[in-house]
Amino acid sequence: MTSVAHAKPGAHDAHHAPMSFWRKYIFSTDHKIIGIQFLFVSLFFLLLGGLLAMQIRWQLGFPGKPMPGGGILPEAMTSGGVILPEYYIQLVTMHGTFMVFFAIMPLLMGVYANFLIPLKIGTHDMAFPRLNMWSFWLAFTAGLIMVAGFFVPDGAARAGWTMYAPLSARPDLSGATYGQLVWCVSIVVLGLSSVLGSVNYITTVINHRAPGMTWFRLPLSVWAIFITAILAVLALPVLQGAAILLLFDQTIGTHFFDPIAGGQALLWQHLFWFFGHPEVYILILPAMGMVSDIIANGSRKPIFGYHSMVFAIVGIAFLGWIVWGHHMFMSGMNPTLGSTFMVSTLLISVPSAIKVFNWLGTMWRGNLKFTVPMLNAVAFVSMFTIGGLSGVFMAATPVDMHIHDTYFIVAHLHYVLFGGSLFALFAAIPYWYPKMFGRMMSEAIGKWHFWLTFITYNLVFFPMHILGMNGEMRRLYDPTQYEFLKPQQPLREFITIAAFSLFAVQILFFFNFLWSLKRGKKAELNPWQDNGLEWSLPSPAPHGNWDRPPNVYRGPYEFSAPEAGNADFLPQHVKLPTDRDPAAATAPAPAPAH
Amino acid sequence: MTTEHVRPNYILIWGYLFVLTVIEVAAAFLSHIPKHWLIIILVILAVVKALLVAIYFMHLKFERWRLRLIFIIPLPLAAILVLATITEKIW
Amino acid sequence: MTHATATANMMHPPAPAEPGSGVYSNKLGMWIFLASDVMFFTALIGSYIILRFGMSEPWAAPGAVLNVPLTGINTFLLICSSVSMVKAYAAIVDGKKYFLRPVPGRLLRDGGLKFWMLVTIICGAMFVGVQVVEYFKLVQHGLTPAGFREGSHFAEVALADPAKYGAATAGLFGSTFFTMTGFHGFHVTCGVVSMLYLYFTKVLPEKYSPQDYRGIETIGLYWHFVDLVWIILFTIVYLI
Repeated sequence: MTSVAHAKPGAHDAHHAPMSFWRKYIFSTDHKIIGIQFLFVSLFFLLLGGLLAMQIRWQLGFPGKPMPGGGILPEAMTSGGVILPEYYIQLVTMHGTFMVFFAIMPLLMGVYANFLIPLKIGTHDMAFPRLNMWSFWLAFTAGLIMVAGFFVPDGAARAGWTMYAPLSARPDLSGATYGQLVWCVSIVVLGLSSVLGSVNYITTVINHRAPGMTWFRLPLSVWAIFITAILAVLALPVLQGAAILLLFDQTIGTHFFDPIAGGQALLWQHLFWFFGHPEVYILILPAMGMVSDIIANGSRKPIFGYHSMVFAIVGIAFLGWIVWGHHMFMSGMNPTLGSTFMVSTLLISVPSAIKVFNWLGTMWRGNLKFTVPMLNAVAFVSMFTIGGLSGVFMAATPVDMHIHDTYFIVAHLHYVLFGGSLFALFAAIPYWYPKMFGRMMSEAIGKWHFWLTFITYNLVFFPMHILGMNGEMRRLYDPTQYEFLKPQQPLREFITIAAFSLFAVQILFFFNFLWSLKRGKKAELNPWQDNGLEWSLPSPAPHGNWDRPPNVYRGPYEFSAPEAGNADFLPQHVKLPTDRDPAAATAPAPAPAH
Repeated sequence: MTTEHVRPNYILIWGYLFVLTVIEVAAAFLSHIPKHWLIIILVILAVVKALLVAIYFMHLKFERWRLRLIFIIPLPLAAILVLATITEKIW
Repeated sequence: MTHATATANMMHPPAPAEPGSGVYSNKLGMWIFLASDVMFFTALIGSYIILRFGMSEPWAAPGAVLNVPLTGINTFLLICSSVSMVKAYAAIVDGKKYFLRPVPGRLLRDGGLKFWMLVTIICGAMFVGVQVVEYFKLVQHGLTPAGFREGSHFAEVALADPAKYGAATAGLFGSTFFTMTGFHGFHVTCGVVSMLYLYFTKVLPEKYSPQDYRGIETIGLYWHFVDLVWIILFTIVYLI
């Protein structure tokens, strides 16, 4: 192609004295190692969340029947293998908690913000590498604390992942003497991890971009992660504050959420959802960003409407602060306030729709290559659209009155979180796997995994729309106690069988992931023929990334560009004879900041 | 663009802060002022003091607007949360 | 790469690079962290405002339960520590790494970084000390996070004059008071500990210079923020 810029990879390694195993892999400050640490831990929590879901589905599909393997659980949870109501509500609560806080959020941010940002903007590491390490270990500690909830007397938290007060504030009402407390402590620790991590991500993107990497040459994955970090830095502290107030209500006798003593139960809901709504955008925006990168690559075309994609991300993030009340339409909140939330919520569908049209525009008449990442990315677009459409129904308050807290909501949230975020992760993980581990994941297994997952996933969650329309409530232990829900039992059983199949299929993914670590095909420099800066480094990327930052000459989506000659891609760092060096590159180079 | 960095007179700002604090404490005990006005006066005094610290001690006066934006952005968010939730008790 | 050239560019954003924010990363990072801290205090202070606004019964009058004059002096102390912090910053910008140096023709000696930092730490520690003593006194007289303790001094006087002592809202009064001032005190304590750490590891060995005083400016920003929050807190908790 053209000259390899004077950015020599790996020479940075020589600056360090050889590090012990502990400093190199356990207490590492290298953003790539930290990203991988987050990956392993979060995949574990994804599996754990899935196991909890399987138990929920057992109870719903086969109510009152002993669960296979249920005998190993203590009597407080299962009586003779039959899931008890007290355990069921723990399952529901902890499934949501683990999936949101310890699986999806860290997979998107802890893994990909860490791994991708320095590589994609052309710098050695994060702005604050030691703080980064602390972020991981705080998140890990928070995870341990949360798991401990199952082992404290009377078991784990059980007021739903949304922890509504006063149920969550009163152990005498919920029966969870310590579990709720453990939840609050874990969340405060996790919040600190997220905030510190986000400070790192924001500072790095603002201050450490390579010469020529202007704002509008950033890949959309970086834009999305950057904006998400801003959301996180402002939203998580509100949750931390709320969790502390709840903790005090539970322990030292305060009355923030207790109406009898002048507190307000709705205060919790407002605080929680003021955090909670930006949180769901935290859970989808990085996925959207990564999907943009993968779809442009798989279509061999520039992303359609790059600028509008950026503004859509900013618009979603901005509007996301003023829609939180749509989670509370049925709470007894001020109806006028509710109406304003209805309007803002309907509005926020617009930037998301813009993004969907732009993804379609990118694929339109592109030279489509349906690799495993591309398949999963395209599935993201369609599944997220379905999830988004069901969201429009809920945005309309009169409709929400009928479907709030039913399985319609459960269907919606799983379409956006599983159909959306998780499919995006199924795309991102094999896509950046070569840069992480130096090997490729198996395409064949990946394709089997994709199709089987796609089919079983839709069989599980689509029927939930029907269940919800017919009035089936969420978090309900035994729907058959209601006459009007009894006829839906065959459908519930169907969903359960589909769910078991869905879970079983994930074995393919986990096997592929672990097996390829050692036995995967060795990866070349740029297996996807992509334009990002990370693909100019060896696979796996070396410690310190580049000796000196590369120069950037163009945006990240120059696919099928005429200037590239015969190749259908033109990397960001490749200098054509017509290119001029970026201005900052002529400034004197100081020692790399450690 | 940042303004020319002429060092502010920190002792003078300290003087203002001292005087404002004394006024505040005194005002709080003037019970013949109607409560509403008192709250407005006290809040304004507090905000002025806070601004003095932010602008002169934290040097926001001399930083570029993008940095000031970082501090400014949370404020409307905080206001929205509090004002929206207060309406719960009004209706 | 010599140490001199390595520090030469520390006060400017990393280069070669895109211009970015125009300030070095530690400072940018601290500002972003302070924005997050604003949101944290919003949750606590906002809850207080929301809960108090929602109470139809009277709140305790200023000075009835809390010691306003003492806390007023404490507020002034914290403001003084903010002034000494910015004086410390100005000192190191001017290269004054020393403790005290006599100035010909002036009565008072000129304070350098070491002096002003020490003043800040002492004032900050005293602030925490006074707060702790105030907490002890309040608990002793009967104010707890759950309200007025049965049979305590406050419970008795509240029976006599419920409006002045906010008897009906005492539960929330105690809850919000201890939470807000407690977390502020926690922030002040973290600041004092951080400054002590920097004092012994960097200030005394004279590691800061006019070419690199990032740590001083960064901790200074945090300290001013903590003062700023207290200015707001003092007004709405003690005076309104």
